[in-house]
Amino acid sequence: MQRSVLIAVVLALGAGSVFAETPTLAESLLAKMAKTPPVSTPFIQVSYRDVLDRPLVVSGTLRWLGGDRMERDIVKPFKETATIGDGELTVQRGGGEVHRMSLERAPQAGAMLSGFRALLGGDVSALEKDFTLSAQGGTAHWVITLTPKTSQLKQQLASILIDGRNEEPRCLTVRDRNGDSSITLLGAMATQGLRSVAPLESAVAARCRNSQ
Amino acid sequence: MKTGARVAIWFVWLALIVALGWGVARHLQISSDLRDFVPPARTPDQKLLLDEIGKGPGSRLLLLAISGATEAQLADLSRGLDAALAHDPAFAHVANGSNDIADIASDLLPYRYLLSPTLDTHRFDAAYLHAQLQQRVEDLSSPAAPMLEPWLKSDPTLETLKLAQLWAPPHQPKLVDGVWFSNRDEALLVAETKAAGFDPGAQAAAIISLQKHFAALPGAAHTKLVISGPGWFGMQAARNTRAEADRFGTITTIGFVLMLLLAYRSTVPVVVTALPLLSGAVVGFALLALIFGHAHGITVAFGFTLLGVAQEYPLRVFSHRRVGVETSTCVRELWPLLATAIVSVCIAYLAFFASGVAGLQQLAVFTIGGLIVAGLCTRWLLPLIVPPAKRDMADTPGLTSAWHFLARLPRPRWLPWLVALVGVCVVAFAPGRFWQNDLSALTPVPKAELQRDARLRAALGAPDVRYLLVLRAPTAEGVLGLSERVTPAMHRLVTDHALDGFELPSRYLPSVATQKARQAKLPDAAELQAALHDAMQGLPFRPGVFAPFVADVEAARKLPPLTPAKFEATPLGARLESMLVDECGGSAVRADPHPSPPPLGEGGARSARAGGGNDALPLAGEEDNCWVGLGTLSGVNDPAAFAALAKQTRGAVHLLDLKASTESLIVAYRHRILVALGVAALLLCAAVTLALQSPRRALHVLGPMTLATLLVLMVLRAAGIPLSLFHLVSLTLAAGLGLHYALFFERRTGDEREDLRTLHATLVCVASALLVFGVLALSSVPVLRAIGLTVALGVAFHFSLSVLMAPHQVFPSPSGRGWPEGPGEGSGSSERSESTVPSPQPLSRGERG
Repeated sequence: MQRSVLIAVVLALGAGSVFAETPTLAESLLAKMAKTPPVSTPFIQVSYRDVLDRPLVVSGTLRWLGGDRMERDIVKPFKETATIGDGELTVQRGGGEVHRMSLERAPQAGAMLSGFRALLGGDVSALEKDFTLSAQGGTAHWVITLTPKTSQLKQQLASILIDGRNEEPRCLTVRDRNGDSSITLLGAMATQGLRSVAPLESAVAARCRNSQ
Repeated sequence: MKTGARVAIWFVWLALIVALGWGVARHLQISSDLRDFVPPARTPDQKLLLDEIGKGPGSRLLLLAISGATEAQLADLSRGLDAALAHDPAFAHVANGSNDIADIASDLLPYRYLLSPTLDTHRFDAAYLHAQLQQRVEDLSSPAAPMLEPWLKSDPTLETLKLAQLWAPPHQPKLVDGVWFSNRDEALLVAETKAAGFDPGAQAAAIISLQKHFAALPGAAHTKLVISGPGWFGMQAARNTRAEADRFGTITTIGFVLMLLLAYRSTVPVVVTALPLLSGAVVGFALLALIFGHAHGITVAFGFTLLGVAQEYPLRVFSHRRVGVETSTCVRELWPLLATAIVSVCIAYLAFFASGVAGLQQLAVFTIGGLIVAGLCTRWLLPLIVPPAKRDMADTPGLTSAWHFLARLPRPRWLPWLVALVGVCVVAFAPGRFWQNDLSALTPVPKAELQRDARLRAALGAPDVRYLLVLRAPTAEGVLGLSERVTPAMHRLVTDHALDGFELPSRYLPSVATQKARQAKLPDAAELQAALHDAMQGLPFRPGVFAPFVADVEAARKLPPLTPAKFEATPLGARLESMLVDECGGSAVRADPHPSPPPLGEGGARSARAGGGNDALPLAGEEDNCWVGLGTLSGVNDPAAFAALAKQTRGAVHLLDLKASTESLIVAYRHRILVALGVAALLLCAAVTLALQSPRRALHVLGPMTLATLLVLMVLRAAGIPLSLFHLVSLTLAAGLGLHYALFFERRTGDEREDLRTLHATLVCVASALLVFGVLALSSVPVLRAIGLTVALGVAFHFSLSVLMAPHQVFPSPSGRGWPEGPGEGSGSSERSESTVPSPQPLSRGERG
């Protein structure tokens, strides 16, 4: 806590650049966020797609089951369970058949997995294999930016941004190379819900940064 | 002749052998394509089998399993190997679970509405499109969204994905880290070689290349790559047989050298005795290279076995040398008898020509050429390098006692009758199968490897090597239509657990009729626009976003249906190509150009059962059925369940049991060999009779041979060993050796010391044959064991009966109980008769004692 105070003081003195762009901040932030599985959090995902004329909103629960196993349950507006693990992505919608595919073929899903897992598990080295890490900000609002390193990821993924406050991640923004993006609200942010059925991307992004 | 000159000639001779051998080795191709070794096909299924046996989709598959590291490492290795093999020209297709979507060739995408079964049950109306688009909305929020998004605008009903799923292997192993894994944590791959399954040279090259690729992968050193499949088994069998033959070869060579030293007390035989045989072998190979350009591996094995007779020629010479007499003189004295033996055996082997099988004709050329050359070398070259004897072999200690022992043996006259009677009874009535028709029993795969193959095959859902579904029709379109019509019945068989999975040609390419029917259901642009407009109501899609879809459907409406030729030009084409065969076109070269009589005996029955010539579909009708579709099957649990299918389609669709068909070929093949051997026996009788100029003397030679052969058969039958081709060849070799024993024992020299030399020679020959083949009989490889056991038994029986049935003069027993001139084996001349030739008086008994 003393350290947070220190950071706040430093920021207040306008010397924020001391910590800016230093991987140690990203590392320390991630280290502080580290949790032991299983961990679950409510989420709301807002997707902005080129083919759609309004954003797509789904909500449910995200679970980290340990290792590289993640589960995402969508409850609204339809039911879907997606699991990621063992290099495979399985999707079951409603009570229908289970679709499986290799993560090789869905690199973003793999990257999302790495992002979540690193967030929850504080595994910086795993993240640094695929991404260049950078962090900005202070206790009240910080952003960790993951920029893909591998050419396969670069082809489809532009960046992943994690907004957070104190030790809690608040938003995960995935920007695709083709201009599509999605913002996933986590934890308390998700519990609060959205203020609009079709929020503008800028509005959601602003909420993520909002230091209230 | 001076010793120096002899050594010089020896060197020149050896150099010639080496030079010729080197030249031949560079030109002669050793193949083990079984097609060389089976007779031409007679039934359509046999014909198909001969085409299929090597080229078939099943027989070219190599199943791969990588183990011994963490899953992530194994997955990396799997991907690395997949990438390496994808660029290897030896492989047609590789799969490890990661690449099925990439397989969809972009050339096929325009045809997706004609290839996918969606339009069989649905129409692109507003209701269907709305349901589909609703699902796409949901897909867009799934983690897989980025993967689907590129397709969405042009393919909102995901026909591309449906095709990818349709063309993916029916039973996929689980995916770990994106690649196939077995339940035992092995990464699994399937590689299809371009080379035929039974082209072992090319298979071995592909396997070695594969192993090299694997070894070059980072982290491969500590892991284990397991390979399975017909190509691998062929390579292993060849390797094991060769290794064991080499090992036994070393043992017997050492034993043989020791025996020569012991028998002749001289090193000359050791350095000389192999030369005629080697000369014969080298010339035999040269003839094969000149006439055929290649030799079958089995030809080489059989040929060497049969050529073993020639080993006796120099041994006879060494035993018959006399002190102070030039070797050439001794050889000249022996020559008429040796020549008789050589010519008789060569005439007998001529019968192999009549078999009409390339492999056996090669065998005849090799053996006859080799024997003649070995004989000629013994007659004219050997005397040039062998110095006159320093000691007479007749003086060998113990030889005289041995001679007396043999002379005193009881020779009851009923013995041949008893042997014949018991032999015939046992051979005829012993329980158990008479013949071994299973080809794989000749070069068996270790049980552990077979089990592993079955496990990997089941895990990968790889097709069965034994069974194929054959679909016959006059045209390719007909085959595809047939394939579509039987698909529901095949699904029912899977439901009934008669088989685990199947893959028919129509899975890749529907018939033109089906494609046209689907095409007719595609709405025109205006209709589709209207349907889309309605379907998009209430959904968040941007208006106009599906314009590429409308354009693609419009294009698909005008496409000419996809033909096999066009399909086969795409990267997926190889799969269809191996499933759709034009028997009258491309592969007609293989078909028997001469109409053959219908298959005999078991062969006919079997092929009829396999469906080739059953009642429902007369053979005449099948002539027009040029096109053959080959459905691969996996896990055939109940072959009999396919009978109903064959009946419904009047035989146009039936199960082809490659094993049964191969066995029917083997039966036909054996029939030819037996006929050939029968002719050979008659030729041999005639030749021997002619050479000896007396039927009675011939009987002394041929009687023991016949009975000894019968005895070997009797022992094999009594032991419950089914006879294979290798037994037949070994019996033939043993008979060839037996012919020598009988001929030499029958010889009248009037000289007891010469008789002693004959005994010496025969004993050395028998001992060496027993040594070589007795050791082989201990082999763990059934082929070698069959040869070893049969020849060793044969040699023992031939020797015993030659001694026991030798004419009176050769072993005159004290009591005069010896055999009269004409032991009556079916000759009716069992009456005691005087020798037709005045027999020279043997030395007095007193001198011998």
